[in-house]
Amino acid sequence: MAKKTVNTIKLGVFVLSGLLFLIVMLYMIGKNRNLFGPAFVLKAQFENVQGLVPGNNVRFSGIQVGTVKRINIINDTLIEVVMLVDDKMQQIMRNNAIVAIGSEGLMGNKVVNISPARSPAPFVTKGELLSSRKVLNTDDMLQTLSKTNQDIAVVAAQLKIAVQRVNNSAALWAILNDETLPQNLRSAAANVQQATARAAIVASDLQSIIGSVKNGKGSLGAVLTDTSFAVSLHDAIEKIKGVGDKADELAVSLNSVITGVKQDYNTGRGPVNALFKDSSMVVSISKSLDNIQKGTDAFNQNMEALKHNFLFRGYFRKLEKQKSKENRQGFAAQ
Amino acid sequence: MREQTLIQAEKEKETGRDVMVVKHLFKSFGSNKVLNDFNLTLGNGENLVVLGKSGSGKSVLIKCIIGLLTPESGIIEVLGQQITDLDHDELDKVRAKIGFLFQSNALYDSMTVRQNLEFPLRRHWMQVTQQEVDQLVQEALEDVGLAHTINMMPAELSGGMRKRIALARTLILKPEIILYDEPTTGLDPITGKEIIQLIMTIQKKYRSSSVIISHDMNCVRLAADRIVVLIDGRCYAQGTYDELKRNGDPVIHQFFE
Amino acid sequence: MELPVKTSEFLKQTGEASAFAGRFFKEAFRPRYEIAEFTRQCFVIGYKSFPLIGLTGFIMGLVLTIQLRPSLIEYGVESQLPAMVGIAIVREIGPVITALIFAGKIGSSIGAELGSMKVTEQIDAMEVSGTNPFKYLVVTRVLAATLMLPVLVMLGDAISLFGSYLGVNIRGVTSFNLFYTQVFDVLAFGDVLPAFIKSFFFGFAVGIIGCYKGYYSAKGTEGVGQSANSAVVVSSIVIFIIDLVVVQITDLLNLN
Repeated sequence: MAKKTVNTIKLGVFVLSGLLFLIVMLYMIGKNRNLFGPAFVLKAQFENVQGLVPGNNVRFSGIQVGTVKRINIINDTLIEVVMLVDDKMQQIMRNNAIVAIGSEGLMGNKVVNISPARSPAPFVTKGELLSSRKVLNTDDMLQTLSKTNQDIAVVAAQLKIAVQRVNNSAALWAILNDETLPQNLRSAAANVQQATARAAIVASDLQSIIGSVKNGKGSLGAVLTDTSFAVSLHDAIEKIKGVGDKADELAVSLNSVITGVKQDYNTGRGPVNALFKDSSMVVSISKSLDNIQKGTDAFNQNMEALKHNFLFRGYFRKLEKQKSKENRQGFAAQ
Repeated sequence: MREQTLIQAEKEKETGRDVMVVKHLFKSFGSNKVLNDFNLTLGNGENLVVLGKSGSGKSVLIKCIIGLLTPESGIIEVLGQQITDLDHDELDKVRAKIGFLFQSNALYDSMTVRQNLEFPLRRHWMQVTQQEVDQLVQEALEDVGLAHTINMMPAELSGGMRKRIALARTLILKPEIILYDEPTTGLDPITGKEIIQLIMTIQKKYRSSSVIISHDMNCVRLAADRIVVLIDGRCYAQGTYDELKRNGDPVIHQFFE
Repeated sequence: MELPVKTSEFLKQTGEASAFAGRFFKEAFRPRYEIAEFTRQCFVIGYKSFPLIGLTGFIMGLVLTIQLRPSLIEYGVESQLPAMVGIAIVREIGPVITALIFAGKIGSSIGAELGSMKVTEQIDAMEVSGTNPFKYLVVTRVLAATLMLPVLVMLGDAISLFGSYLGVNIRGVTSFNLFYTQVFDVLAFGDVLPAFIKSFFFGFAVGIIGCYKGYYSAKGTEGVGQSANSAVVVSSIVIFIIDLVVVQITDLLNLN
C-alpha cells in the first residue's frame, strides 16, 4: 500500500506540473493580450481601418497597453474601433492623444498607435472617443508612387519631344555639320590677338610721354622740378606735422588714463569700484560685524551658563577669587 | 417462480440430484457446427469428464455453461437458473458459485499471486474485510501447498505451480460447481498426475461437483465418476471408465489406445 | 459485387473499431467505475512515459533551433528565432511528435498487453470473476491515454522550449527573460488551445486503437505481436488524419 501512495503522489505531481505549464502559458498570453486584469474602453473613429481585426495590439508611445476589442461600422464612411486599454493608463493618457492605425513592420499585423499630443489636457475617461489621424498606409504610398510615376512619364514624354525637335532641326544640324566654322573661328581669334598687340604698343607710347613730363622736360616740367622751392615747402610741412604729433601724444596718454579707470570700474576691481559700485560688500561687511557681535553675545551667554554649571562652578569661583585678589593687590599697590 | 426453482434446486442438491442440466444445445461458428443437439446432466458431487478430440467443441461447451459464449438455442440450467435468460448482474451471482480453471491458467501477469487471488474475492463479494480476504487467500494457498509464493509474480512460477495457483484462485470462492478446461494440458505426466490428485483432494474437501474437459486418459482414469464422449457436437456415448474401455466401438476405442 | 479482400477487411476493421469506440462511450459513463485501475493506468501511461517524451522533446527543441538558424540568418531575421521555434513547437511539432512517440510506446504496450491477456484467457477470467473486462481494461486505459497525453504534450512543450532556449544560446546570447518574452509575445490563444484540445483526440485515438487491436487480437504469440504492431501503425496514421481535420476546423473558425 505504501508503494501505491507514492505512485499516486508522483502521478499527482506529474499531472499538476502539466496543468501548471498550461495555465502559465495561457496566463502569459492573456497578459499580453490584456484579457486578464482590469481594463477600460476607449474608442476612435476612422474612415478606413486597413484590415484591423479584434485582438490586434494597441500601443501607447510604442508600449503595449491593450487590444482591439471590437470594430463597429457606423456608416459607410465611418468605422468605430473599440479598444480595451489597461486601467493603469487612465492616469497617464490624456484625452487629446491621437489615435492612428499602423502596422508592425512593412507587412506585419496592424496595430493601433496612440500618441500623446504634448499639450496639457485632462486624463482620458472610460469610453471616451479619441481623435484619430489618418496615416500613410501602403495603399496611399502606392498611390503617391503611381502619381510620381505619371509625372515622370509626362516629363519623359516632353524630353522625348525636345530631343526629337533637336533631331529634326535642319539649321542646327547645318551649323554643327559646317566644316568651315572652326577655321573661321580660328581666324577670328588671330584677329583679336593682333588687335591686343597693337593696344599694347599704344599704351607703352603713352607711358614714355608721362615719363618725360616727370623729368621736367618742357615748361610744366620746369615748374614742377624746382628743388629749392620744394625743400622749403617740405620744412614747413614738417613743422606743422611735429606740432600735430605732440598734440596727438597728449591725447593718447589722456585716453589711456581714462580707459584704465573705466576698466577698473567696469570689472569691479580696485578701491574706486568698491566705493562707487559694490553696495553688497558693504552689506556683507555690516553683516559680518553683526555676526561677530552676535557671536560674542552668545559666547558671553555660554560663559555665563558655564559659570552656573556645577561642574565648572568651582573653576569660576576660583577665577573670581583670583580677580578679587588682584584687585585687592591693586588697591594695596595704590 | 424463481424462488420455487431455487428451493427445488436446493432440494435436488441435498438429495444428490442434478445441479446442472444441458439440453438440446446448439452452437456454431460460421458454417462450423460445434455443438449440435448436445445433452448433459451433472449430479451433485459428481465428477463428470467430457472426453473429446481437440477442436471437438469441449471448451465451447463449458464457456457456454458459464456464459462466456451464447448458444444459438438450447437450455443450460445451472443451480436451477437458466443461464441464457439472465442479465449481467444475475449472471455474476451465478458465476460466483461456479469455478472455472482455464486451460492457460489465465493468471493476471501484472499482479502478484496475492492480488490474483484477491481479485475474484473482491469482485464477487463486495462486503468483505481485509482480514477475511487475507485469511481466505492463505487458506486457498495452503490447500494447493504454495503458501510461500504469496508475493511472487506469476512469471516467476513454473507451469505446475501456476496451474495450482489458478486452482487456488478458482477455489477461493468455494464454488459449488467447478469447470476444468484441460487441467493437465502442457504439463509433464507426473505433474499432471499431481494436479489431478490435488483436484480430487479438494473435491472431497469442498464437496463440489465438477466437469472436467480432457483428452488425457491418465487424468480421465483418475478423475472420472462418469465419462461423456463428445463427437461431432453431440453426446456420442457415456458411462464409467471401465464401461467405455470395454466398449467395442472403434471410435471410442481410439481414445484408450 | 465482390470487394477485394483487403478493401473489405479494411472496411470491416473500420466498422469494428467504430463500434468499439461506441461501446467505450456507452460503458464509460455507467457504473461501476474502476477508479483504482484508472489511477494505476494514469501512472503507467502518463508518468512512466514522461522521461521518454521529455528527452525527445528536449532534443527536438534543440535541433529545430539549430537547424532553423541558418535560414533565418539568410533573411536577416535571426532575432525572430525564439518566436518562430515557439510557434512551431506549441502549434504543431509538440503535440504531433509527442503523440507519435506516445503511440509508439503506449499504443504498442496496450496492444500487446490486451492481446496477450486475450490469448491467455485473462480477459475471460475477468469476466468470470464478476468484472466487466471492457470497463476494467479498455475504459480505464482509453481514459488514461486521453487525459494523460495532453499533460505530456504540455510538459513536452515546456521541455522543448527549454531545449530551444539552449539552442538559441549555442551561438549568440539571449537571456531567458527575453526568450520567453519573445515566445509568449508571438503566441495567441488560437495557437495553444487547438493544440491542447487536439492532443485529447490524439490520446483517445492511441488508446482506443491500441485497445481495439489488443481486444480482438488473433490467437497465438504472432497475433499479439501483430496487434501491437498494427496498433502503432494505425494510431500513427490516425494521428495525422486528426491533425489534418483539426487544422481544417481551426482554419474555418479563423483561429489561425
